[in-house]
Amino acid sequence: MRTWLAVGLSLALGGSALAAPAKGAAGGAKGKAPAKADLAPAIAALNGTGVEEAAAAANQLSTSADPAAHDALLDALAWGLPPAVAVNAIAALGQHPAPPDVPALKRYAGHHNPSVRSAAFAVLAMYPSPEAHQIVIAGLHDATGIVRGAAAAAAAKGHIREAVEPLFQLLARGEEPASRALAAMADADLARKIGDQFGKVPDPALAQCMGLILKRADFGPDDARVEIVRALGKIQDPAALSALGDYVDATPKNPPRQSREEAQKMIEARVGGGAK
Amino acid sequence: MKKLVLLAALVACGPKSGFRLTSMNDNDRGELQAALSHRQLPEQAAPTNSARTPRAFVVEAGSPKTIVAFDLAAGQVLWKADADVQSKVSVGGDFIVEREGTALVARDQQKGGVRWKVGLGGELVGAAADRERAYATWHEGGKYYMAAFDGSNGSQLWKTDAEGQLGAPSAQGGIVLEPYLAQWLSLIDGKTGAHLARIRGLDQQISIVRTTSQVAYFGSKAGILRLDSRAANGTRASSTYGEVHVPAQLDKATFGPDAYDPMQHTYTAADRARVLWSSEPSEGPLKFTNDGFAVHYFRYVFGFDTKGNLTWAYSNPRVELVASDHTGKSIVAVSATGDVIALDPKTGAVMSKKAIGTSAQVLGATFDADGWAPAGAEQPVETVAALVQIARDRDARFDRVKELAVQAMAKLPGGEVTKELLAILADNRAPQKLKDTVVDLLVERKDPASLPVLTEQLSIHDDFLAKTETFALGPVARAIAGLGGAKLPREQIAAALVALQSHLDAPSTQPSDLVFVIDAMAAICGGQERAALGSHLLLYHCDDDVGSDAAWTKAIVTALDVHGGPAEHELLRQVAQDPRTKAALSSLIKDALAND
Repeated sequence: MRTWLAVGLSLALGGSALAAPAKGAAGGAKGKAPAKADLAPAIAALNGTGVEEAAAAANQLSTSADPAAHDALLDALAWGLPPAVAVNAIAALGQHPAPPDVPALKRYAGHHNPSVRSAAFAVLAMYPSPEAHQIVIAGLHDATGIVRGAAAAAAAKGHIREAVEPLFQLLARGEEPASRALAAMADADLARKIGDQFGKVPDPALAQCMGLILKRADFGPDDARVEIVRALGKIQDPAALSALGDYVDATPKNPPRQSREEAQKMIEARVGGGAK
Repeated sequence: MKKLVLLAALVACGPKSGFRLTSMNDNDRGELQAALSHRQLPEQAAPTNSARTPRAFVVEAGSPKTIVAFDLAAGQVLWKADADVQSKVSVGGDFIVEREGTALVARDQQKGGVRWKVGLGGELVGAAADRERAYATWHEGGKYYMAAFDGSNGSQLWKTDAEGQLGAPSAQGGIVLEPYLAQWLSLIDGKTGAHLARIRGLDQQISIVRTTSQVAYFGSKAGILRLDSRAANGTRASSTYGEVHVPAQLDKATFGPDAYDPMQHTYTAADRARVLWSSEPSEGPLKFTNDGFAVHYFRYVFGFDTKGNLTWAYSNPRVELVASDHTGKSIVAVSATGDVIALDPKTGAVMSKKAIGTSAQVLGATFDADGWAPAGAEQPVETVAALVQIARDRDARFDRVKELAVQAMAKLPGGEVTKELLAILADNRAPQKLKDTVVDLLVERKDPASLPVLTEQLSIHDDFLAKTETFALGPVARAIAGLGGAKLPREQIAAALVALQSHLDAPSTQPSDLVFVIDAMAAICGGQERAALGSHLLLYHCDDDVGSDAAWTKAIVTALDVHGGPAEHELLRQVAQDPRTKAALSSLIKDALAND
C-alpha cells in the first residue's frame, strides 16, 4: 500500500523513481519484479528502524547490479529516510545512475540536512542531464559553506562547464573548494581565464588554484604551464611563492621544462636562493 | 453733597473691578448673551487687520530676531524688522503687539516701525489685540494684573488686578476673554474693563482659549466648548462641547496653548502639536466642520473624521512646521525654513506653497488669515505617499507616529500599499517595534489585491552568490494565509503556489517559517498543494530536526487532514504506522484521524 501511495505522490510531483524506474529495471513499480531472495534482507533493513543497519543495507544494495536493488533504493528515498540513511542511499543510487533518479535526488538536494544535500549534489553530477547539472549549479549558491564545497567538488567531478562562472564568483569570495574545482576542471583555455582573474579574486585563492593546476600531471602542454607560472609570478602573496616551490619540488629537472625553469628563476628572484 | 452722591453712584455703576473668587454672577445666561452681543464681529470670517488681508507674522532666529510680515494672498513680504521678540505676536487693526525685552511694544502693521512701547513692571503672562486695543496680563510676584492699551498710542485705558492667577488674554470684537484660576472665563469690555459676564466651568478646567474672527472657544486638553449662550450652563453636557479622538501617538497635541503657561505664549515646540478645527453653529454638541479635524504634529498634518479615523496625511519635506492655524477654509502653516503652505482641511491637498525667502531659522508665526483660502488649483492628494514618508522617516522622535502611519496605510486597499509595508520590513534602519506592527498589519490586512505583491516578495531566496536573503517569509506567508476564503484569480493562486513551494522545498527555510508556508498553501491553493505537502511530510517524517518540531508537526498534519482528501488521509495513516515516524507526529496523526 505504501508503494502505491508513493507512486501516486511521485506522479503528482512530476515523476520519480517509482513512477519511472531505472533503465534496465524489470518493470515499473506496478509490474516490479520481486526482489531476489538475497536482496530481501537488505531491503528490509533499509526500511527498518535501525539507522546503522539501514545505512549498511544501502551500501550493500549499491553493490548489486540487480535493478531490484536500484528500485528498492528509489522506493526508500521516495518514502523518506532518516538523514543518516538517506546519505548512504543517495550514494548507493549513484553507483548505477539512471535518468529517472534525478527527480528523487532533486528532492534531497533541498533537504534541511547539509550532509544529505551534499550527498545529492555529489551524485547528481554524475548524471549527464541538464536538469541534474542545474541542480548542482544551484548548490553553488547554497547558504551553507560545506554544501557549496560539495557542489563545487561535484561540478568538477562532473565537468559541468556551466558551473565555471559561479565557481569564479565563489573564487572571488575566497572559497577554497571553488579553487580546487576550477583547478580540477581547467584545460589550457580555462587556465588562461583563471589567470585573467588576477586582481579580481583574492591572491591566495588564485595562487592556490593555479598551483593545483600545475600539480596536475594531465595538464599541459608545457606552454600552458608556462602561462600559469608567469601568472603566478604576478602574484605577490606568499601563496604564489609556495605554489611555485611546490611545482619545482614536484617536477624533475630532466627532461628540462621551460615552466619549471621559469618557476625556479622566479623563486630565486624573490628569495635569492640557489638552484634546486 | 450732590457731588459725593454722584461720585458714589458712578462708583456703583462703573466697571466691576478686579477678579474675585466670589461676588460675581457666574454662568448668568442673560449677562453672557448680552456680552456676546456686545462683540463687533464681521459678517464674513475675515482677518483682524484693517486691510482685511490674510497675513502671517513670522519670527526668525537671529541676534536680534526678525519679524517678517508676509502677505499670504500675494505671497509677498510686506516688511522685515529686527526686534527682540520675547512673546508671540498679536495682531490688531493697524498694529501688532508683542513683548520686546521687558516692554510691550506695538509696531505699525503696514511698515513694521515701533509705534509705542510700555513697561509692564512684571512678568508678561500673555498679550492679545483686537482692532483698536492691545491687552496684556502680567504678574508681579503673586499679584496678577491686566490692562488695556490704545492701539494707536499705547495709552493705558484701564487696569485691573486679580486675587489669583490670571491666564493669557484673548480678544475678539472688543471683548477680552480672560481665564482665571483655571475655573473661570471672564468676558470683559475691552474699552472700559467692565466685567460683563463670567463662565464657571463646573466639570472642566478652562485653560485654553481660541478666537477666530467670528467664533471663540474655550476648554482644556480634554475638550473644547464653543462660546455661545449655552456656555452659561457651565457643563459639557449642556454646552456646545466637543472632544476629538486623537490617536495615542499624537497625544501631545492640544487645542491651543495653555493660558497659564507663559512659555506657551512664546514660540515653542508646543506650537508644533496642535489640534486644528473649525465648527458650525449647533444646538447640541460641537459640530466640527466637515465632521473632521486635523492634527499638526511637527513635520506632519493629519486629517481625521470625528470618529478618529485618519482621512488624509501631509508630510512636510525635510523640516518641521513650526506654526499652524485653521482659517475655516484652509489650514495654514509655516516651516522652519520659511515655506508657507496651505492645505485643504477636507482632503489634505496642498492648496499653495510659498516661500518667505529666508536663510534664517523660523521660530514661529502668528497668522491673521481667518476665512482665507488660496485661489487656484489644488495639487493632487498624496496621502499614501505622505504616510510612506512618515513611516520611513529616520527621525527617532517620531517612532510612535510612524506606527500611526503604517496603521493608516494598512487600512487602504491595494498592492502598492502592501509593497510599501514590505519595504518597511526590508529597511534595516526601521525600528523593530515598527516592523512588528507592520507584520501584524500585513496579517490582518486580508487584501486580495495584494496577492501578486506578496507572491513577488517570495521570489527572493537565500543565495550566497547573489548576496540575497529571504526576508519576511513568515509574515508574507501569514498574510497569504489570511486570504484563505477570499475570491482569488486562478493564475494568481498558481503563481503563489509555485512561490510558496519554492520555500517549502528550500533548505534554508526554518521550521518556524515552514509552518506559515504550509498554512498559506493549505489556505489558498484549494487542493493543488496536496502533492507538495505530501512529499514534504514524507521527506521529514523521520527527520530528527524538522520532523520533531511540534509546530511543524501540527501544521503539516492539519493541512493534510483538514484540506486533504481520502488519498492524503491514507498517506497520513501510512506515515503514522511507519515505526520510523517521529512519535509526536505519529500520535498527532492518529488523534487527527481518530474519527475518520
